[in-house]
Amino acid sequence: MLEAEFTKYRRDFEVRVSLQLGAAQSVGLFGASGAGKSTVLACIAGIEQPDDGHIDLGGLRLFPPSLSLYQRPVGYLTQEPSLFPHLSVGENVTFGVPKRGASHPERLSWIATLKDRLKLAPLWDASAARISGGQARRVALARMLARKPPLVLLDEPFAGLDRQLVRELIDDLIFWSKTIGFSMIVVDHQSDVLMRLCPESVIVLEQGQVVQRGAWSDICSAPATPLLRLLLAQL
Amino acid sequence: MIVSRRWVARLGAAAFALALLYPLSALFAHIGAWQWDAQVRGPALSSVRVSMLLTTVAMLIVVAIGTPVAAYIAHCKAEERLLWQAVLLIPILLPPLALGILFTLAFGPYGGVGRLLNHWGVAMTNSATAFVATQVYVGMGYFVLGAVAALDAVPPMLQKHAALLGLTPLKVFFRVTLPLARLGLAVALSIAWVRAVGEFGAVVVTAYYPSGMPVQLWVDLQSFGLPAVMPLLVIFLAVTLPLPWLAHVLAQRRSNA
Repeated sequence: MLEAEFTKYRRDFEVRVSLQLGAAQSVGLFGASGAGKSTVLACIAGIEQPDDGHIDLGGLRLFPPSLSLYQRPVGYLTQEPSLFPHLSVGENVTFGVPKRGASHPERLSWIATLKDRLKLAPLWDASAARISGGQARRVALARMLARKPPLVLLDEPFAGLDRQLVRELIDDLIFWSKTIGFSMIVVDHQSDVLMRLCPESVIVLEQGQVVQRGAWSDICSAPATPLLRLLLAQL
Repeated sequence: MIVSRRWVARLGAAAFALALLYPLSALFAHIGAWQWDAQVRGPALSSVRVSMLLTTVAMLIVVAIGTPVAAYIAHCKAEERLLWQAVLLIPILLPPLALGILFTLAFGPYGGVGRLLNHWGVAMTNSATAFVATQVYVGMGYFVLGAVAALDAVPPMLQKHAALLGLTPLKVFFRVTLPLARLGLAVALSIAWVRAVGEFGAVVVTAYYPSGMPVQLWVDLQSFGLPAVMPLLVIFLAVTLPLPWLAHVLAQRRSNA
């Protein structure tokens, strides 16, 4: 489904990665801050452009040439919820959903399901600028899922949240990934997040290079480099 | 001790504000009965109509041309942006009288464009067209520079998220960028409006007729003296000051929030 092999030259080093991801599969990216994990996601999302290589998603070429952001069937969730502050919660969730078309009733029913499952009904008419950080993450998740993207990119969306909320959001993500069948690439520093969202496949990056691949439990038990061992010891 | 220092500072600031607003007290100056007879009233009301109508047309042109230009500049890299900003500064920094003379020469029978316009029957001196065109020149730089700052203040990541949610660049502009920049754009427009509607130096050269408020104020001052100026001055302040003032106060409130 996703087949990506690309290089992105940064000022300090080059990020070189190759990724193959099937439908409804997930992979984690782990490494120290500044190792290039977010760059990988930004290149797949189209926020940044690789300098070399190719990215294909389900028969659609994302790069090269670089496909416009609005044409990419990709969900992107970041640490900052980036809600549209001039809109209500409901308007944020339905922002990317076409308002017309034959499948509109179906879309409305899907939005209602999201609203119910993510407990957004009490907030629905509130201004997105006036809700709490935790609520904003739930709204951002609903907004991303409203379009049912086949690929979801998660760039530390749980950072700074309390454990209970993280657990709930992960439960929701696992539930939706089974319901919709999307694939996931997860960047996170938290072991329990990787353990739950992508236990079978994690890629470790150091200075933009892949230094280890495998199940998260294997990586934890046999880290390939001294830096990784140090990082894991700090978890 | 700290409290008393703060009060001294506050009193100082209040004195500063009073000094700043002091010229407005001249509205109550003892200059005798204000003159508002037919001789003054007719041209004064006509100048209000001219200023309001033609400045509105000028501002519509400024917004229609200036907004896409500002959107383009806001997306330029630093070097190119500096170039455009330097260009926009030229009409802003030109002394108004110099701008008026240059404008008359360039768009009059001596300029290439002027000859062409004259051939098509478009008079670029002492006409409504000349009035509007001068105001567009006077206000454009202020609007575009302010609009660039307003568009810059919209977080780029919000626009990228909107695009990733399937919106084309045009839709992102209208549904995200424009609503979030609207107050800044209103402030930019209000500055352009105040600058254009109050313009005297350039307009008096390019469009003495039809007379807008500043030119009429000057004519009244020369012909009848201060009592004849005051009614039009009050109207001038009433139609130019409140809306831009409100836009600025709202913008300040938001940036202070």
